[in-house]
Amino acid sequence: MNDVNGAASSNGTAKTASADSIISMRNIWKTYQMGTEELHALQDVSFEVKKNEYVAIIGPSGSGKSTLMNLIGCLDSPTKGEYWINGNQVAEMSDDELAHIRNKEVGFVFQTFNLLSRATALHNVELPLIYAGLRAAERHEKAMASLTAVELGDRVTHRPNELSGGQRQRVAIARALVNHPSILLADEPTGALDSKTSIEIMHLFEKLHAEGNTIILVTHEPDIAERAHRVITIRDGRIESDEKIK
Amino acid sequence: MNFSETLKLALSAIWAHKLRSFLTLLGVIIGVMTFMIVVSLLLGFKAYVDEKLAGIGSNSFTVRRFSFDDFKDTDSIAAAQRRNKELTFDELEFIKANAKLIGLAGARALPNSREVKRGNESLANVRIDGAEPVIRDIEKLDIAEGRYFTDAENDNAVRVAYVGSDVANKLFPQGGAVGGEIRIQGIPYKIIGIQTTKGTVFGQPQDNFVQFPIKTYGANFGGLRNSRGLYFSITAKDDKSMDAAVEEVRTLMRIKRKVPYDEKDTFGILTPDAISGLVTRIVGPIGTVILLVPTIALLVGAIVVMNIMLVAVTERTKEIGIRKSMGARQSDILRQFLFEAATLCMFGGFIGLVIAQLAGLIITRLFFQTSIPWWAAVLAIVFSGAVGIVSGLFPAWKAARLDPIEALRAD
Repeated sequence: MNDVNGAASSNGTAKTASADSIISMRNIWKTYQMGTEELHALQDVSFEVKKNEYVAIIGPSGSGKSTLMNLIGCLDSPTKGEYWINGNQVAEMSDDELAHIRNKEVGFVFQTFNLLSRATALHNVELPLIYAGLRAAERHEKAMASLTAVELGDRVTHRPNELSGGQRQRVAIARALVNHPSILLADEPTGALDSKTSIEIMHLFEKLHAEGNTIILVTHEPDIAERAHRVITIRDGRIESDEKIK
Repeated sequence: MNFSETLKLALSAIWAHKLRSFLTLLGVIIGVMTFMIVVSLLLGFKAYVDEKLAGIGSNSFTVRRFSFDDFKDTDSIAAAQRRNKELTFDELEFIKANAKLIGLAGARALPNSREVKRGNESLANVRIDGAEPVIRDIEKLDIAEGRYFTDAENDNAVRVAYVGSDVANKLFPQGGAVGGEIRIQGIPYKIIGIQTTKGTVFGQPQDNFVQFPIKTYGANFGGLRNSRGLYFSITAKDDKSMDAAVEEVRTLMRIKRKVPYDEKDTFGILTPDAISGLVTRIVGPIGTVILLVPTIALLVGAIVVMNIMLVAVTERTKEIGIRKSMGARQSDILRQFLFEAATLCMFGGFIGLVIAQLAGLIITRLFFQTSIPWWAAVLAIVFSGAVGIVSGLFPAWKAARLDPIEALRAD
């Protein structure tokens, strides 16, 4: 764990990104080799996200939206370009260093929740803390606080199959937030929910934004994207537009 | 991720598939169980033999007409019969007069089998033999009732008998055996002592005998020759000088018999070490062969565990993706699955150990004392854990190397 910290801070000393940027992507390329052909999923993508911004990334399927999300979430590395997250240069990190960044800097919210089905809500929320190396008592306390924050303090011992879709997504959000990440990265968070529950979840995001969290929302639904304060549109692996709407 | 977390995780994964875990473990369970049973049987058997045979007089040895090696084949027996003369009282006296390292020395005669009668009652195939009174101390005989022979009774070939408890109980069901009279080939003998019941050794009854003073035996059954040949039972002065005492007696015998230095002994010396060495020689190879069975079972068990761990990794690809997206490193995932395989197998080892322990209790009750030595128990658990780690290595490595994006996409 310590060596990863060391690598992160040494990266930090070389930081060039503007101080208040949480995310800074510069000339990012992601190229897949398909046989003899090269497929550019992302081409020369550059943008910055500042602290406490609420950004929606929108685009049709196949636009490179998912690839971009995987890069932002440090699940993947770019082929070319620089990516800084909270002062850490991510582009050339090893698998384990990426794991560390995912643990500390990124809170994932997935369309299909991705909760561990055999574990209780509490254990699911504890998961990032386990990999952060926290002791049981501390984990328990933080996970409880996080679940209470999403109004699920009375559901901690329930397993995912005993919870409604909206509750599951709130467990996932509690899990994403429990380690106080730099960004909350949501991939179609309302994709599997009915419209009423979707609105609840979107309200929760607005509340979290108001509390100072930085949120990046990936979606293909324009009415969900409209709730963000800034919309980045991706098409054919390039940024088509990037505009503040609020 | 620390040890107890990983362990908890492994236990919950095993518990989630109880039946599957159990079936997976059958190979390991059977392997460890048979291993433990075989080890405890072999050790128990060895201890039993040591106690029953060598323990008869653990610091005594015998000088006989023939040695073990003479019984290799018919040629060597024939050669030994020509070379090796009967032992004589003269030779025993020579040893007693000259040996410095021995404690006690006494003569015995080889046993015969006779029918023993009392009135109309009779017992067939009773072992009869003869011994000098000093044998009582050499063999530490346990007398239940009455007494052993005196020197006077031996010197005068008095017709007295020391009998095993079977003989006493069968011929004198009402008691009163001591002082009673038995007949062998029409000649009466007076019972003067009864030996404490010893049970059986390898199914051989130890309490079905009649023992006479050696001179009585010689006088009434046709001389101390051939099938009633003499042999000497000798103790060392103390346990430490056993080997030296054996060598001294060997040298004295060679001097007495004038055996040239370059010729081999014309007699045999049988030490407790030789007996237990013989047992080890027999038991050793058998043990090795028998241990192949648990080894094969464990090997099959390991393959089954590897297979099921591969299934588990495929089944839980999504879980691995989730864990990786939450910050699990490759080493965390690797450890998780290795731990699971190791814990699983150690469970199997433990179950096998428990079953072996129960089997051991049954064997102890029916046959002879067995016990699982602590080192074998520890070894079995550690070894099953190692089997788990070895068979879990490849599946765990596969899991650790999964691409998080691909893994998250799995369902």
